[in-house]
Amino acid sequence: MATFPFPLSAKGLTLTRPVGLVLDKLALAVPRGKVSVVIGPNASGKSTLLRCLARLLRPDEGEVLLEGAPVNLQKSKHVARQMAILPQNSTVPEYLRVFDLVARGRTPWQSPLSQWSVADALAVDRALALAGVEEYSLRPLSELSGGQRQRAFIAMILAQDAPILLLDEPTTFLDLPHQIELLELVRKLNRESGKTVVMVLHDINLAARFADHVFALRGGKVHREGTPGDVVTEATMREIFALDCLVIPDPLHGCPHVIPR
Amino acid sequence: MTRTIVVTWRCGPFSGRIDPRTLVFAVLMLAILITMSGFVLYSGNYPLSIAEISTILVQPKDDTPDIVIWYHRLPRLLVGIGAGAAFGLAGALMQDMLRNPLASPDVTGFGAGAACGALCSIMLTASSFWVLPGAIAGGVLSAALVLLLAWKNGLSPARLVLTGLALSLFLMALVDIMMARLDLLTAADAMKWLVGTFSSPEWSDVVLISCALASLGPAALWQGFALKRLALGDDIAAGLGFNVPTVRLWILFLAVGLTACAVGVAGPLPFVAFAANPIARRLSAGFGAGNGSPLLGAAAVGACLTVMADLVCRSLPIGADLPTGVFTTMIGAPLLLWQLTREIRKGVI
Repeated sequence: MATFPFPLSAKGLTLTRPVGLVLDKLALAVPRGKVSVVIGPNASGKSTLLRCLARLLRPDEGEVLLEGAPVNLQKSKHVARQMAILPQNSTVPEYLRVFDLVARGRTPWQSPLSQWSVADALAVDRALALAGVEEYSLRPLSELSGGQRQRAFIAMILAQDAPILLLDEPTTFLDLPHQIELLELVRKLNRESGKTVVMVLHDINLAARFADHVFALRGGKVHREGTPGDVVTEATMREIFALDCLVIPDPLHGCPHVIPR
Repeated sequence: MTRTIVVTWRCGPFSGRIDPRTLVFAVLMLAILITMSGFVLYSGNYPLSIAEISTILVQPKDDTPDIVIWYHRLPRLLVGIGAGAAFGLAGALMQDMLRNPLASPDVTGFGAGAACGALCSIMLTASSFWVLPGAIAGGVLSAALVLLLAWKNGLSPARLVLTGLALSLFLMALVDIMMARLDLLTAADAMKWLVGTFSSPEWSDVVLISCALASLGPAALWQGFALKRLALGDDIAAGLGFNVPTVRLWILFLAVGLTACAVGVAGPLPFVAFAANPIARRLSAGFGAGNGSPLLGAAAVGACLTVMADLVCRSLPIGADLPTGVFTTMIGAPLLLWQLTREIRKGVI
């Protein structure tokens, strides 16, 4: 099936909101089997782009192609088997246990009459182990810390067994150690399970460290894309953030590191 | 840590997980319902012993005690159970769909709309045949009106509830005006459209509410699968493969249908739909069965509440047969106030 080098792509995405043009004929192609990170200043359309890719938002014009076919013409359940989404907004029912949350991730493979097949049970166990949430799988979500809860949600979308993962600012509300821990997990999923990952990140240095491919957005368009080394440069930072900075190689990881002046 | 005992069942292509405590909860609700049903059949002005009642139920004859049971107490009981279950189910559907405990069909004005429609059809046609179509039309129209007025880039729960409350008050005023214009005899019967009562039960009503439950009930339970996912937020539900607006529309249709049928046989019965789901949740959480099926629980609690309300209203020493809806209001209204203050403190409204 892996015929297209770009499992997920968009062309001519345009979205107008009362505040103005959010996406402006945006085109992009997500490389298969890589971690792609979308960066850009506030209001550059990062999250809007991700929501359009995830079919949570319908663009005014343009289309999103999943494995070459327009995403809005495919059955939502079919799409959910190929692409799992971790949105920014979720509500947490107080009674829900981690295990049951992760089991919800099996939804696209279930029906009201088949809610717990052997495959479901195996996938949930695997997801719990991969995300490292086994030890508190029987605790209610309301008792967990922010980092544990985010991992539980990651486990849920892993149980979905989709080759593409879209994560909308997964590190928000986490402290730095938990941010690193979560991004390490995302990279592990990519390296070990071959997931194609697209995520929006606020922090450029984290983006530079964990991305294989960076999309830098400005004014609702992809301003520049490429490896972190190509994109995270003094010139690009000035262009997209109007930020005067010094970019040096990270002494530990070798990736570019931005130091604002 | 809560202990979990979950039983997995698989049979061919079908499978599921069930918490045995859910079953315990179901058996308990059933026991309460049966006990109260016994009381309903037993209590009344015409004295009958339990032995007599059981003989009548098994071997119907054709004398006065039989008529009391078969043409009065039994249909009254069955209409109560059916309407209560339908209200409970409709309430749970709406509240879970909008993730708002205030969004039940009685609070949002569907019940009042159905009552208004039913009364309208009685006035216009002077026959009871059109009561149900009238109730459904009234329920659908008020639902459409509330949605239209409350819609603004989607459906905000707070706007929905406030619009529904306002429309409810307006519709109940309309019902009052129409009642004033009816002749006395019809008005006495039409009392039920004001608050809801079971004073003139008929077997046709029993058939009607049973048919409604038999057709819409399974569809509602089917949607329960989507409802559980919707509880995680619209975005997550969409990501898991649901077309959220379509799911909402289906659930809304089921809730309006169930409400209209229940109102058609019993009147609006305020707060049964509102209270059933939270009570069921709390009870089942008390059993530790937090992830059981809240829809069935809400239906059972709705039925219990209604039968209990009917029983209390009939046995109060006030003399007159108080409309059942008065009692449901007496327990429901404080619950609404409590819920409102909670929501305001949480900053939801």
